[in-house]
Parts: sequence; structure tokens; C-alpha cells
Amino acid sequence: MTESMCPDSGMEALVIENSRLNMRLLEAEETLRAIRSDEVDALVVQSAFGPKLYTLQGLDAETLRFRGDMLAQVSDALIAVGSEDRIIYLNAAAEKLYGFTQSEALGRPLDQIYGLQWPRPGDEEKAMTSLQELGEWRGESLHIRRDHVTLNIESSITILRDEKGIPSGRLEVIRDITERKRHEHKVLISEVRYRRLFETAHDGILIIDPATRQIIDANPFMTQMLGYSHDQLVGKELFEIGLLRDEEASQQMVSELKRSGQVRYENLPLERKGGGRQDVEVVANLYEENDRSVIQCNIRDISERRRSEEHVEMLMAEVNHRAKNLLAVVQAVAYQTAKQGDPATLVTRLSERINGLSVGQDLLVKNQWYGVDVADLVTAQLAHFKDLIGTRVVLAGPAVRLTAEAAQAIGMALHELATNAAKYGALSSQIGLVTIGWHLTSGDGARFEMQWTETGGPLVTVPTRKGFGHSVIGRLVDAAVQGKTEIKFEPKGVSWRLQAPVGNAVNLVGSKE
Amino acid sequence: MKPLEQDASEFHRKARVLIVEDEALIAYTLEELLVEFGFEIAGVAGRLEVALDMIAMAVCDVAILDANLAGVSSAPAAAALTKLGTPFVVVSGYSAAQQQDLAFGDAPRLQKPCDIERLVESLRAVLTHHRASLLQ
Repeated sequence: MTESMCPDSGMEALVIENSRLNMRLLEAEETLRAIRSDEVDALVVQSAFGPKLYTLQGLDAETLRFRGDMLAQVSDALIAVGSEDRIIYLNAAAEKLYGFTQSEALGRPLDQIYGLQWPRPGDEEKAMTSLQELGEWRGESLHIRRDHVTLNIESSITILRDEKGIPSGRLEVIRDITERKRHEHKVLISEVRYRRLFETAHDGILIIDPATRQIIDANPFMTQMLGYSHDQLVGKELFEIGLLRDEEASQQMVSELKRSGQVRYENLPLERKGGGRQDVEVVANLYEENDRSVIQCNIRDISERRRSEEHVEMLMAEVNHRAKNLLAVVQAVAYQTAKQGDPATLVTRLSERINGLSVGQDLLVKNQWYGVDVADLVTAQLAHFKDLIGTRVVLAGPAVRLTAEAAQAIGMALHELATNAAKYGALSSQIGLVTIGWHLTSGDGARFEMQWTETGGPLVTVPTRKGFGHSVIGRLVDAAVQGKTEIKFEPKGVSWRLQAPVGNAVNLVGSKE
Repeated sequence: MKPLEQDASEFHRKARVLIVEDEALIAYTLEELLVEFGFEIAGVAGRLEVALDMIAMAVCDVAILDANLAGVSSAPAAAALTKLGTPFVVVSGYSAAQQQDLAFGDAPRLQKPCDIERLVESLRAVLTHHRASLLQ
């Protein structure tokens, strides 16, 4: 409204202004009259609860047009019901949302437009109370359309009253939030799922703010690994929990992450609360999360893996050692075998002796190097005569487990004794008998004793030359178990006897006694 | 190789070798072979305690040490020999990286199974070196 400044044109302006004011006064009077005579049916006012409609009486063409224009603009669906819940108005958005034209809908009961359901028990009661006490309600509900589609709805309902203030209907402003709900649900599921991963992971996970380099979250596994509580970890930098050397290393990690997106440390010593150390592998990634970036550090306890690597290394070294040792033994056997005896039978004799060693190895491996049971050793070394065991070869002794060293030496001795018996002794005839006995003596100076006694074979003569076999059953066994052997070539048969301190021959830990 | 003649010309008397080896058969074979090569056997020890006793009696000029004696390191024997100034060679089934015990010092290390001629060469080398150092 302009205020006239010029005195010449002032009068004219005043006349115009006056007539405008008169018009507005008339309009106001007309409005008041209309309200009084119920000609204005609705007044839409924006409120904090969304658009509100007051009064709804009389439907002259002018106000109908005015009301229609206004309400049609509203993007939310609007439905007004009068008595008996019958539709008296719905806007374009409502027509679209529910699939009814205005002409179809008007006059119908509201429950033919949509079926109403409540998300939680008690919701309906709350809504009714609010409507009764405050005349309005806002909240969420479910609308089931006539095509059976369920819509998530956020709506605002206002009680409409007549001029005397008596409730005459309701106006519902309806917003379809189905999409939003679906999205929220997806986000919720995703959040729950990843939270669960985070909470139950068997890797430590730290979330770090790249700007401050401080920990903003840590999973339970991480807190367990370090011995700090969640609250103690949050706000700390990595070097403060001993994961990185110092602040400089921490800065370096962040700049490396910004450059390449990932940083990996194969083996870091992690300092536990209280000073303990743990070997860990750290993989850090820089992620964009909405419009900010975060660092995720996965920390894996590798002490178990290192232990197992060390164990494998140790085993490999041990296997290597044993293999080489055994090859050295084979080398010595080859040398000794070659030195004595008939060159024509060298290969046979050598291969028999190597077989004897191999049999002993099998038994040791079977028992994980915890020694060999005497009966197993005898049976294995006399495998050639297994049909005779129990008849012409008699074994008698308790369960005693020999050490690996004793088993090798005694095994070789048994092999030599059996070879000799088969060639010249009790097993060279059809009736000879071999008795193999062993036992442990108790008390002070406890000993392991073993005897090989042949009877019933051809008449025995004392050999003129002592070969390698003789050394094997004699001084080699003595040396291996720090024992004493005795060999007798009596006419009725060969006998061999071994006495050794229990501790040198018997694996007492592995013994079944 | 003619070990006997060579040895007799080089040395006034036969070198006495201590064999520290837990594998009786290997020790036995070494004894025979070393005698053939003109050495005298000072003793055979299959266990560390026995080896330490023999070293303490100082009856040998040179020693062959198996690095591992029935699961026990022979490093203490190496230390005792070093203390007495007795040269030795180390024989082991472990690879060089595995026998890192400092007590073995810079003694020659041979891998099992080892060739007898290489072993004899090593024994002679350490003996010669030792005698040379005594003359200085």
C-alpha cells in the first residue's frame, strides 16, 4: 500500500485508497455474514500438525471452488468425513492414492476407501483418546487399499465441528510413507546384520576417525584382546595402545591410507593392558561413509598361526635331522656289509639290513617316536618267520616300551640273530626252537634284560671270524643302551643275553607298565 | 689316497681322535675308518656326560662332535674343547642354519651323512692349523 507524497495527485490517490478500503471492508463484512449464515464451509490454516481445516458447513459454489483450489494444491492426500464416517471430500492426491475418483468416493463410508490397521497394540486407543481430548491426532497407521496393498501411512486427523462446536466430522491429512518405511526397514536390517558381524567377529575391529586418528568404536573381540574396556579404547590413538610405535607412525599410516586406501602390517606386537604382548596382523582400510571418511582396522591374533608355523618348522627340521642320521646309519651299514662277506651276496645282505632298519622306522613312526613295544619289535624283525611265531619261535615278556635309540640297536641285533639262525642255527632245520624272553628287574639298579636262546638246531661250532653281525649284537647294542651283552656259541645252540639299565633302554613315560 | 704313509710322514705320532657320536653304528664305523686313515682312537662317547669326562682327561688331539646327542646339544662339549684349545669338527644331521650355537664357533661343520675322506681332510686341516698356531 503506497502513501501519497505529492499534494497535487494526493487527492486522487486518497480517493482510490478509500475505495479499496471500502471494498475490503465489504469483503470482510461479506465473510462475516457468510460465516454467520454458514456459507463458508472451510478455512484451511497451516499448523504445526500440517494443514488444518476449520468448519465445514454450507457448500455454495464460490466457497466450493475456493476450497477446491486450495485443497487440490496440497500434495498430501486429504479426506474429510461427515456423519456416519461418510466421505464428504477428498482431494486429487487422495483420489490417486486410493484409486477412487471423487464422484465414486463421495458419500461412501470411509472403510470402503481403506481398511485401517494399527502397527502396535494400543495405538488405536491412544489415537482415540487424543482425538477426544485434544480434537486431533497425528501418528502412523496402516491403510489397506481395495487392491489389498497395505500402505504405511503417517496421518494427521482433526475433528471438524459445526458452528456450535459440536463434532460433525473429521479431516485426515494423509502421507504415504510406505517407501520410506521400506527403506528404513532395509537400513535397519542391514544395520542389525553388520552390527552382529561387528559384535561377534573373531577379529578385533577398530573404527578410527582419520581427522583425529582417534578410535571411535571397537568391537568386543578387540576389547578382549587388549584387556581394555570399550570406553577406555574410545578416544585413544593407535600408538597409545601399543599398536604403532609412536604418533609419527600413526600419522604415516593415515597419510598412507589416504593415498592408497589400504595399509597392511603382517606382524605387529600388540601391547595388552598390563604389558603382555601379542602378535597381530593389521589390515586398515579407508572408507567413505556418507560424506565423511572412516578408517576400519581389522586386527587378527596370529599367535596361534605363528605357533603352528613354528611347530611345522620344528617338525621339518626334526625330520631332516632324522633322515640324515638314518642315511648316515645306512652308510655305515653299507660300509660294514661291503667290508665283510661274499661280494656276490653283498646286495642281498645290504638290502636285508636296510629292510631291518626300515621296519624299525615304521614302528617308531606308528608310536610317534615314543618308542617301540618289545613284542612288536621282535615280531617285525622276525617277519620272515611269522608262521613259526607261537610254535618254533616263542615270545615271552611283559609289555615294555623301548626308547627309539634302544629299539633301533636291539632291532638290528634281532635282525642279525634271526639271519644267523636261519642260515646256521635253530631256524635252519625243521625242528629247532628259538625262545625270546625279556623282563624288567625291580629295585636298585633296575635293569631291562633280554635273552635269545636257540635249541634243537644243528650242532653249533664257535665261528672262527667275528663279522659285522657279531659287532651289531655285541658292542653296538652295548653302546646304544650302555649295557652288557653276552654271546655264547654252545653246541646245543646260540644264546644271546642283554642287560641294560632301565633308564637307557626303556621309555618309562610311554611304557604301559 | 694313501692315508697311512702320508700320515706317518707328516706327523711324528698318530693323532688321537675323540669320537662324540650317539649313533653306535656310526661311531663304530668311524673308528674303523679313522684307524685305516692312520688315526688313533682316543675314545668314543655316545652321551654328553661321557664326552665331558673324556675331554676333561685331555687324552685327545682332535675331536669329532655330533651336534646332537640323543636330543641333547653337544655345545657344552664344544665349549670344553675350546677352553682346552683342542680343535674339533662338527658333524650333524641338522642343516647349517639349524646349528647356530655359538659354542661351535668357526669349527668346520659337516653334514650327515658325510664322506669319510672329507671328514679326514677336515680333521687334518684343523690339526695343521692348530699346530701352526702353537708354533707362532
